[in-house]
Amino acid sequence: MSWVGAPLPRKEDARLLAGRGCYVDDLTRPGLLHAALLRSPHAHARIVRLDTAAAEALPGVAAVLTGAEAARLARPLRPLIPVPGDVRDHCLAVDRARYVGEPVAAVAAVDRATAEDAVERIAVTWEPLPPVVDPEAACRPDAPLLYPELGTNVLWRDTLEYGDVAGAFARADGVLRERFAFHRYASTPLETFGCLAEYDAGTDRYTFWTNDQRPGLTLAVLAESLGVPVSRLRLIVPDVGGAFGNKRRPAYLLVCALLARKTGRPVKWIEDRRENLTALMHAAGGVIELELAYRRDGTVLGLRVRDLTDEGKNLQSPTQHNLIKLGTLVNGYRIGAVRYEPCAVLTTKCPSGANRGIGKPFMCFAIERAMTLLARRLGLDPAEVRLRNYVRPEEMPYTTPTGARYDSGDYPATLRAALARFDYARRRVEQARARAAGRRLGIGLATSVEPAGTNLAVYELVTGRRAASGSAEAAMVRIEPDGSVRAALGDPATGQGYETVVAQIVADELGLTPAEVDVAPGFDSATTPWLYLSGNYSNKFSVTDVGAVLGAARAVRDKLLRIAAYRLEAAPEDLELRDGAARVRGVPGRALPLRELARLAYADPLGLPPGETPGLEARHAYQNPLARPVDPARRVPSQLVFSNAAHVCLVEVDPGTGAVQVLDYVVVHDCGRELNPLIVEGMVRGATVHGIAAALLEEFRYDAAGQLLTATFLDYLKPTALDVPPITVGRLEHPSPVTPLGAKGVGEGGAIPAPAAIANAVEDALADLGVVVRELPLTPERVWRWVRGGA
Amino acid sequence: MHTVRLTVNGRPVERPVAPRRSLADFLREDLRLTGTHVGCEHGVCGACTVLLNGESARACLVLAVQCDGAEVTTIEGLTPPDGLSPLQAAFRECGALQCGFCTPGMIVLAHELLRDHPAPTRDEIRAALAANLCMCTGYAAIVRAVELAAQRLAGAAPGEAGEGR
Repeated sequence: MSWVGAPLPRKEDARLLAGRGCYVDDLTRPGLLHAALLRSPHAHARIVRLDTAAAEALPGVAAVLTGAEAARLARPLRPLIPVPGDVRDHCLAVDRARYVGEPVAAVAAVDRATAEDAVERIAVTWEPLPPVVDPEAACRPDAPLLYPELGTNVLWRDTLEYGDVAGAFARADGVLRERFAFHRYASTPLETFGCLAEYDAGTDRYTFWTNDQRPGLTLAVLAESLGVPVSRLRLIVPDVGGAFGNKRRPAYLLVCALLARKTGRPVKWIEDRRENLTALMHAAGGVIELELAYRRDGTVLGLRVRDLTDEGKNLQSPTQHNLIKLGTLVNGYRIGAVRYEPCAVLTTKCPSGANRGIGKPFMCFAIERAMTLLARRLGLDPAEVRLRNYVRPEEMPYTTPTGARYDSGDYPATLRAALARFDYARRRVEQARARAAGRRLGIGLATSVEPAGTNLAVYELVTGRRAASGSAEAAMVRIEPDGSVRAALGDPATGQGYETVVAQIVADELGLTPAEVDVAPGFDSATTPWLYLSGNYSNKFSVTDVGAVLGAARAVRDKLLRIAAYRLEAAPEDLELRDGAARVRGVPGRALPLRELARLAYADPLGLPPGETPGLEARHAYQNPLARPVDPARRVPSQLVFSNAAHVCLVEVDPGTGAVQVLDYVVVHDCGRELNPLIVEGMVRGATVHGIAAALLEEFRYDAAGQLLTATFLDYLKPTALDVPPITVGRLEHPSPVTPLGAKGVGEGGAIPAPAAIANAVEDALADLGVVVRELPLTPERVWRWVRGGA
Repeated sequence: MHTVRLTVNGRPVERPVAPRRSLADFLREDLRLTGTHVGCEHGVCGACTVLLNGESARACLVLAVQCDGAEVTTIEGLTPPDGLSPLQAAFRECGALQCGFCTPGMIVLAHELLRDHPAPTRDEIRAALAANLCMCTGYAAIVRAVELAAQRLAGAAPGEAGEGR
């Protein structure tokens, strides 16, 4: 029997349920100082003068760090995706703040309250500059500039053309043109970002404890900024209270490190919720203008997409929201010709960054809205127009015009399964009956592909050179001298239950139970194997991490079998690992327990086969072989493996209040082989709720001055248990032929099609009023205005 | 500084505290009871939920000095010395947690619900849990876990129905 595939309750839960988890804010060190940050109250302003004397004089304050000082002590942050031009991004604003909440100075004091008191005593003379709030206005030549030295706010504008786009549009019977806007939101992990930094002057070494979800890259950035080799940095990730892409801001780690060096004491900074909502990371908003060339029968021949990303002040990973859409531009459809015109522009808002699904929810919203509008235009059922365009299962693997490779799945069957579960035909009848009775019900469906494993080579499309590439991870498996088993992975879990799933994988390889495999929680650069690419991002567990764990476990298994074969005088191929021992198949009693094999390997190496090294430990780094460089036609497999899903929902709109109630919601998804179905279903549900909330509740709304209006959980609305509709989850299982265990990505999927599904349903409820949903969220106010004819 | 005397998880505690110290910070930093988490510090998320004189309360909105003479129960006090309570076990079986950060607050909240309403309907459970936020699960598994715990506790002998107390 196999442990992989079993819906095993999680190993990590026992400590988390008891309140014995260890999150970054639970840590303390002798002599610990606490940091607080002074942040810009202006969207855009010059720092004329900054006086820290009163803050420094406050009893309990150990140090104040200004942006100018930080710029002297540390080099600028190296961006993940560098933009053209000489612009420097420092950990604290030096002479100009470019969004409300941008950190400009830091204080370290004996406790957080004292540090915050000191922050209030820092006197800043500001010279306000014009804010840049609207991304389209930000592109205009007369727009105020965030970085005058760049001469523009536009960081990237390009035209990528794949296939015969002009021909497709010339052959078409019609062209559907639409413009969709998307808002800023975030998954807001319940634990905020944080860091504890310690500096040892004797050895010139830094240690960081942080919930940063991408330690490999962060270590590289910190080493470069601090001017020390990576070998003198240690980064430890304890339990992480959710991340969803948001938890990677090396700037804050750098601030703590500089304060620790300055004071000679460890320094901890924990983001508060207002800081988190105002300044950590927002999913980028933007505008997509889309054109579909179609035939009368509903076949889509070509697609043009102009995609404007509102980056905010993002110099770390700009263009990422554009690039990430390349793999999903055509969604699951056989569209042979595509023109993509990306544009990324700076505005005076919170830096955009990765957030569950990054960019793909917007791309899916645009194309799934367009497909629904196409169905309406042609008098087709929205399901039918999709079924006519899907990549068919017999066409797998299917390479899209941009170079993405859909490896497996049955998209038509996924939609049909969702429609069946939803009882689509009956629901349409119900809808008509309800309408006759004066109730506005709407049915919406949206389908999506869900990529996993970003191939960093895609950044070359922007930078023109390859600084990083591939999708990879590293892992370690070790049998200790007493026969106990330990594993570690370079990808720190942020709620995905890796301690359990890794144990399931290792247990299968070594003939043990998952309870017998200890998986190290979190990450420690001193003991965990890791790569530059290591981290918890891009849905990559199934694509790379599984390969790393398997590789290490199999190397240990092979060594065990070699030793056992030698001792038992049998051929290795006649042996199996089962129930904690190496056994000769079919010969009960001829066996050596793991404990004895471990004793030999560590304590009695003279008993090992000639040439065998002592010890039972293996490290393995796995690079997914599907990653390729950008080709001369600018095609690139920007993501490597594709899951898919269909969402169908029923909503009711109250025309009197504009309130939208989701009455029923069906998800059918296919993430290949499910390594642990209990964990998979949890992630599918959680991601779907993120997507529904993005459609109905959540919005970072800025006013014309660039002030964030939704900076608390009273204004930025998260769904509660009462807001979540009943969700039915069904699954198909088409294993990926290109991942080590046939699993595909699952963490992001639900968040991708849900905004489109809800929008399609609300529009369906209001179709007779001529309402076209071109923006989100569908707040009562907005919907009420549409009902009143203000659309 | 003021001296507060209170009972935390059944044990008497006497400490000097600054007037502005929140109960959450007092529990976490002064008593090192780090199972109580802080998620928003403005009383919305409920990660810091504890029982204050038997009633659920946001520890981020209560000052430690207000708790003089009070009885406080945290997740540490609801956890048996060995293993998990029936409610905690139901959470684990149902997959009712992912990152685990909201979990202690959810357990405290659900404990109070089942103590006061041993046989809640699904809607009553949803309404009670709506006091706290979970960013990972989408809530369905948490609701199911509370239902399961209620069923099991109802099946237990009357003397055991207090669950974790």
